[in-house]
Amino acid sequence: MSTVEAPGGVTFLGVRHHSPACARLVAATVARLRPAYVLVEGPADLNGRMDELLGDHELPIAVFTAHRDGTRRHASWSPFCAYSPEWVALTAGRQVGAQLRFIDLPAWHPALSGRANRYADADQRYAEAVRRLCATLAVDNVDALWDHLFEIGPDDGLAERLDTYFDVLRGESAAGEDDTAREAYMARWVRAARRRAAGRPVLVVTGGFHRPALVRLTAGDDGADDDWPEVPAPAPDAVAGSYLVPYSFRRLDAFVGYQSGMPSPAYYQRVWEDGPRRAAEALTEAVAARLRTRRQHVSTADLIAARSMAGGLARLRGHAHPGRVDVLDGLVSALVTDALDQPLPWATRGTLAPGAHPVVVEMVAALSGDRVGRLHPDTPLPPLVHDVDAELARHRIDPHEAVELDLTVAGDLTRSRLLHRLRLLDVPGHVRERGPRVGADALLTERWSPAPSADRLARVIEAGGYGPTVLDAVTARIEERVTLLGADVDALATTLFDTALAGLPEHSTRTLTAIARATGSVTDLRALGRALAVALALWRHDRLLGSAGTAPLGALITAAVRRALWLVEGVRATAAPADPGRLTALVAVRDAVRHAGPALGLDRDGALAVAGRVAADPAAPPDLRGAALGLAWSLGDVPDAARAVRAVAAPDTLGDWLSGLFALAREEVVSGDAALLTVVDELLAAMGAYDFLVALPALRQAFGWFPPRERAEVARHVQALHGGDAPPSDLLRLDADPLLVAAARAVEERVDAVLTREGLWEGDRT
Amino acid sequence: MTALDPTAEGARRPPAVERAQRPPAEVRYADELAALAANDSDPRPPGWRLSLRAARRFILGDQAAGIRRKFVGDPSLIDRALVALATSRGLMLVGEPGTAKSLLSELLAAAVSGDSTLTIQGGAATTEDQIRYSWNYALLVADGPSPRALVPAPLLRGMAEGRVVRFEEITRCPLEVQDCLLSPLSDRVLAISELPGADAMVFAREGFNVIATANTRDRGVNEMSAALKRRFNFETVFPIPDLGTELELVEAEAGELLRRSGVAAPPRRDLLEVLVTTFRELRTGITERGDAMERLSAVMSTAEAVSVAHAVGLRGWFLRGEPGDAADLVACLAGTAAKDDAEDLARLRRYLEQQVSRRSGAQWRAVHDARHLLPG
Repeated sequence: MSTVEAPGGVTFLGVRHHSPACARLVAATVARLRPAYVLVEGPADLNGRMDELLGDHELPIAVFTAHRDGTRRHASWSPFCAYSPEWVALTAGRQVGAQLRFIDLPAWHPALSGRANRYADADQRYAEAVRRLCATLAVDNVDALWDHLFEIGPDDGLAERLDTYFDVLRGESAAGEDDTAREAYMARWVRAARRRAAGRPVLVVTGGFHRPALVRLTAGDDGADDDWPEVPAPAPDAVAGSYLVPYSFRRLDAFVGYQSGMPSPAYYQRVWEDGPRRAAEALTEAVAARLRTRRQHVSTADLIAARSMAGGLARLRGHAHPGRVDVLDGLVSALVTDALDQPLPWATRGTLAPGAHPVVVEMVAALSGDRVGRLHPDTPLPPLVHDVDAELARHRIDPHEAVELDLTVAGDLTRSRLLHRLRLLDVPGHVRERGPRVGADALLTERWSPAPSADRLARVIEAGGYGPTVLDAVTARIEERVTLLGADVDALATTLFDTALAGLPEHSTRTLTAIARATGSVTDLRALGRALAVALALWRHDRLLGSAGTAPLGALITAAVRRALWLVEGVRATAAPADPGRLTALVAVRDAVRHAGPALGLDRDGALAVAGRVAADPAAPPDLRGAALGLAWSLGDVPDAARAVRAVAAPDTLGDWLSGLFALAREEVVSGDAALLTVVDELLAAMGAYDFLVALPALRQAFGWFPPRERAEVARHVQALHGGDAPPSDLLRLDADPLLVAAARAVEERVDAVLTREGLWEGDRT
Repeated sequence: MTALDPTAEGARRPPAVERAQRPPAEVRYADELAALAANDSDPRPPGWRLSLRAARRFILGDQAAGIRRKFVGDPSLIDRALVALATSRGLMLVGEPGTAKSLLSELLAAAVSGDSTLTIQGGAATTEDQIRYSWNYALLVADGPSPRALVPAPLLRGMAEGRVVRFEEITRCPLEVQDCLLSPLSDRVLAISELPGADAMVFAREGFNVIATANTRDRGVNEMSAALKRRFNFETVFPIPDLGTELELVEAEAGELLRRSGVAAPPRRDLLEVLVTTFRELRTGITERGDAMERLSAVMSTAEAVSVAHAVGLRGWFLRGEPGDAADLVACLAGTAAKDDAEDLARLRRYLEQQVSRRSGAQWRAVHDARHLLPG
């Protein structure tokens, strides 16, 4: 055995989290050393609950930790599956009667504040070294490199190879402040264990990145650390709690970027159980079975080709039998007979984007697996269960009675927020019958009626996965929802409203960035407009729900305005009818710039520039050109509207153009001398009967933007042009049935046509 | 068997090749191929000049052995391509134009057969004659069909000599013409029905295979017959995934082109960064911030970026005697990126107006200021 055995019989094993090869090494080492102490990288505050953790659970499970204080909120998971080296160290250690200790800082500690997954890879810290190794060994990425070096090779000399690997990587990179703090703390545990062991063996299992530092930090014996180090306690004003949650392979595989660890849990579970050769066969079978249930064609010839490709790739790459990437490459070569739209996820370490090839989708699903863990029934319940009951009692909400709330009363408002939070957590109990809604007039009362459900307790426990208290849980839930919704801005706007209802104005920076980011990729101008309108309304008026003027909304408005302007300039279609949805979006932009512009620093000049370009762009649809002109006008940049309207005076575009203009700038149109109306009147008078009929529907829609009062104003103006003296309201009302008028017109036209044909009349009907 | 002499045709190389504008890969990298072959102890598939591992080193480079890296992309792609060539299926390289598919096919052929010149260029007018064989009509009329009158085309030669045949832009050929590859690929035999006796069948020698390329912008691979698709392993070649690598490549290639054009000033790196970023964003339709936008319908490949960088350098040097600047870039973008497509021009203008204005950096600002140079 060559792994460094420090003085005093301490053996350091540096592992990659969730690596079956490392787990095998740990098991073999425990069996060989029969250590007195097994020290494992994990939350030290859980040392008193080792029995709970090692109970008779079905893996995977995780330790969930939530932490909240005045400035920071943090949730993180420490997942364990059957092949986690940490888990194997604990279970095997217990079997040989060793004392078990977690030796790392608690998950809520500031040194771990950036991590959602304690057992994520540390590889971003030595990306450059990994890149060079990959280039030298001609593999795509760190996962392929890892398989190549450790998982599918023989186990002889595995420990030496691991030590060399991590020494090389560690030698290249400086540890950050957080890592240094954690390593100093872990070293204190190691020193204490060594003194207590008094010459008996001690096994230390940590991430390979930390091993060289721990070896160095524990080299000397300062004699001071006889007692176990104390476990840091959270600040008095902070809330921190850890409890076990059932986990799943899917969630294990779902961490992305810097939080990700070993991918493909289902595959590595097979490697752990049956070895790499059998795992490769099982993977091929699983993919073929999945594809066949999806009615994708997989022939025997294809499978033979896949098998021989995988074998050939394994030989080329120097593997004794096909590894994960060999099998995947073989399958994709044999089964995909199209051009792919995106690179293979195992080559880029990326996630699947929509539109991935079905074969690749099934391959990734087969790798990931659908195993779900289960906790032993005696496992203590998550605190959320108690918190929900306590909160309901504190707010005097009886699960069996309807609740009537007046939102202007402080006590009722907090009760409403609690009910909304439970609704967002999918905890059954009450259903809202009425109350404030998105886009509806403000309602200041709510009514909730009881809706008892048999599986309420189960649902609360599930919700407990989000956090120990209602507030933590609902915050985590909202953040997850925001992530899942991606670019669905409509649903995001609803979520935004929900957060206001649930009283979460300070919902975190992450949520805020997510919404702003999603806004950046919306392509539907209408949906964006609706979202912007909701956000703007909340930002401006919502004193009731406490969201008026808050920074996250402000940032969202800024992002949405910028995106809307970007989208507006990209719409092209020269002869499309007016689209009220996108006109409303521009109205929202106008309102945002007008009312929130100074406070949020919105780019008024940028908006005017876009408006100017769109208004002058002959390839843009007429309604948008009109709306763009209206936008500029309503923002104070008075255009030559009379001239602009002449440019779009064709019967099939005039009405749409006016729709756009009136949607944005109707007040400007009727105020002052209303020169535009004069021109429109002139244009209409010059139209022939047929042209007028073509133009009529769109014109009707356009003037529909005016409320009755302003319509009367328009009528007065038109009357002044033609010198009539009836009250303007008469012009707006038609005494006869419109159908009758239309029939009369049709008769007149037929008569005209006959007269003209017979050469009896060649005048104009004026 | 035919009377074709397997050694005569392939080994003969006209001396003019050495002075060609662009000699084939096996000439350009002759020393590397020789060194690799000399030190190649791994098993070689039958008919191959190099082992798979040596072929991989030839393409991906090996610093220790002084082999240059010739292709930027995932190593696993090369692995799959080489193994596919060693099996009984052909290799189909698909991807956007300008992703170095043809270069890769040339390198593979040079590594496997030591010869990348058995090439069929697919096109609407490609006929079976150009793929399989045709006749010397004078001899045909005088003597009747005989091996002497036979004029072999690349496919027949590749089969008879045991070499890799390259079929460029296969999807641009009519479907019926594509299908003449079916029996050479599956049964590894080509029938010459005009010849009597044993000469009527040419059996492929070990080492024969086909590398086809197809680009996804023209007629894609969707129209290929299922029967032919099944005889190929498909590999999609993607544009270079990260900015740093692409920037390096563009800088090196454009610098080389400019030197050869007699331009003394190397391209400015900060301007190249703007250029490559612009190309990447217009190609993927996603900005660095993550905003989605419309992709240009024109090809925004690395090769195009190199040619724009070249043009920018030429403009700056020959018009003003200095490296190209942002104004040159905008002027060249219009011609190269937007070509004559009004839609693309509008998209490009929108990009310059709205996206570029939000970037910090002197060159980005300069590009924004020069946006009026776009025509139209």
